[in-house]
Amino acid sequence: MSYIIPIGPYHPALEEPVHAKLYTEGEEIKDAEVFIGYNHRGIEKLAQQKNFIQTLVMVERVCGICSHSHAFSYAMAVEAIANLKVPKRGQYLRVITAELERLHSHYLWLGIALHLIGHDSLFMHSWDDREAIMDILEELSGNRVNYGMVCIGGSRRDVDAEKSKNILAMLDKIEKSNLRLRDILLSDKTVALRTKGVGILTTEDSLRIGAVGPQARASNVPIDVRKDAPYSCYDEFDFDAAVFPTCDVFSRVVVRILENIESIKIIRQALSNLPEGKINLGNKIFKIPAGEMMVRHEAPRGQLCYKVVTNGGETNGRVSIHVPTFKNAPTVPTMLRGNSIADAGLIIASIDPCFSCMDR
Amino acid sequence: MQPYEKRMITKDEVIPTAEKMRADGVALAMIHAFIDDNGVPNVSYEYQMDPSIISCTVEGESVLPSISAIYDLAAEWPEREIMELMPITFEGVDTEKRLFMPDNMLDGQGQILVTPMDKLKKMTGLGEDNK
Repeated sequence: MSYIIPIGPYHPALEEPVHAKLYTEGEEIKDAEVFIGYNHRGIEKLAQQKNFIQTLVMVERVCGICSHSHAFSYAMAVEAIANLKVPKRGQYLRVITAELERLHSHYLWLGIALHLIGHDSLFMHSWDDREAIMDILEELSGNRVNYGMVCIGGSRRDVDAEKSKNILAMLDKIEKSNLRLRDILLSDKTVALRTKGVGILTTEDSLRIGAVGPQARASNVPIDVRKDAPYSCYDEFDFDAAVFPTCDVFSRVVVRILENIESIKIIRQALSNLPEGKINLGNKIFKIPAGEMMVRHEAPRGQLCYKVVTNGGETNGRVSIHVPTFKNAPTVPTMLRGNSIADAGLIIASIDPCFSCMDR
Repeated sequence: MQPYEKRMITKDEVIPTAEKMRADGVALAMIHAFIDDNGVPNVSYEYQMDPSIISCTVEGESVLPSISAIYDLAAEWPEREIMELMPITFEGVDTEKRLFMPDNMLDGQGQILVTPMDKLKKMTGLGEDNK
């Protein structure tokens, strides 16, 4: 018997509003459609009416998880147009915040995935670790969601020796816990049964649809903007892009847990080798000339693109934001086909969707 | 900073450029479009040739061929989004279903990047509750 099963836009299995239609035969999903746009706030239009400092504050509010990634990318684009050279210390601080953000985003996703799998004790463990990362971010920036660490020309807040020591000590604890979590995830029977062979996205499909970030790396596509097109000071750190070949939900779990280890490595290197000097170019309003620039940043969910066009005036000519979920969401129907209805929530969640980012 | 190179192309070169890029294994990072201060449409196809971005730009054309047959959904979704935000159309893209905008936004009207805010409020009835 064939049925069409609607999920969402508001549904207990979804963290954010999205609408999916599952075309099923019995328990098996034969085809699926995804409908988006339930969070559209017109941020790109608002950006045309605001000056560069106001826009920086606004784009940080595009997303509640990768807020720093948006501010980081927008600032890089505007600085490139105005030919501003960000001090090295400011760049390092931006990278430290970006990697802490990646850590807490991956832990958040891991917790949600484990909850959907039905392993609530591991869900509690992963969010316990996430809380420690949020504490570091609070100590670093004074904030837990919108960090406000970026300003045009550098970073807004510095790290002193004592703070740096505290963060390194907390990272040691998080790393130990992350390794324990990794070992459990790789060997746990419940996790294996619910994730192995589920929601397959082959390497060919990933390349065809243009998946990015951990979603692509979990399909054995070795892409990472930090490696392929280094920006800010990422070329000064030693780290690996985590890639896993099984192309299923398990692969996505493994890639994210391995990326946590790499992020901790980057933060340690950055804090240990933090250059001396200024953190920004001072408290002044820069004249932004007419020009255009596109930058790419490896946000927690994948490649984030910002294209900024300026006309020499006080406001942006145009700000285009292409977020990783916009690239990864089209892969959902491909992943759903052939799976059972019970796995649909987990498969949709496995792309680590952020509809708040995508709809803008 | 990642290198950025702008190349001006014509409407007729859109498809051959996309085909060549696809054949060379170059990914499409995004499609960016805007209407400039003089009302001239500007569409750029941002190809990522790591570590560079090659921005192939078409100026002054409000109707362009779709490259979704070449780049699949990586092109179709951005094309649909642009059609909803401003008066630029891509031939061959299904516009039956809305991507972001509500269904009461009629075709050719209410494209939010070019419609003044007060007119948008009147069209949608949004913002009335806040008065």
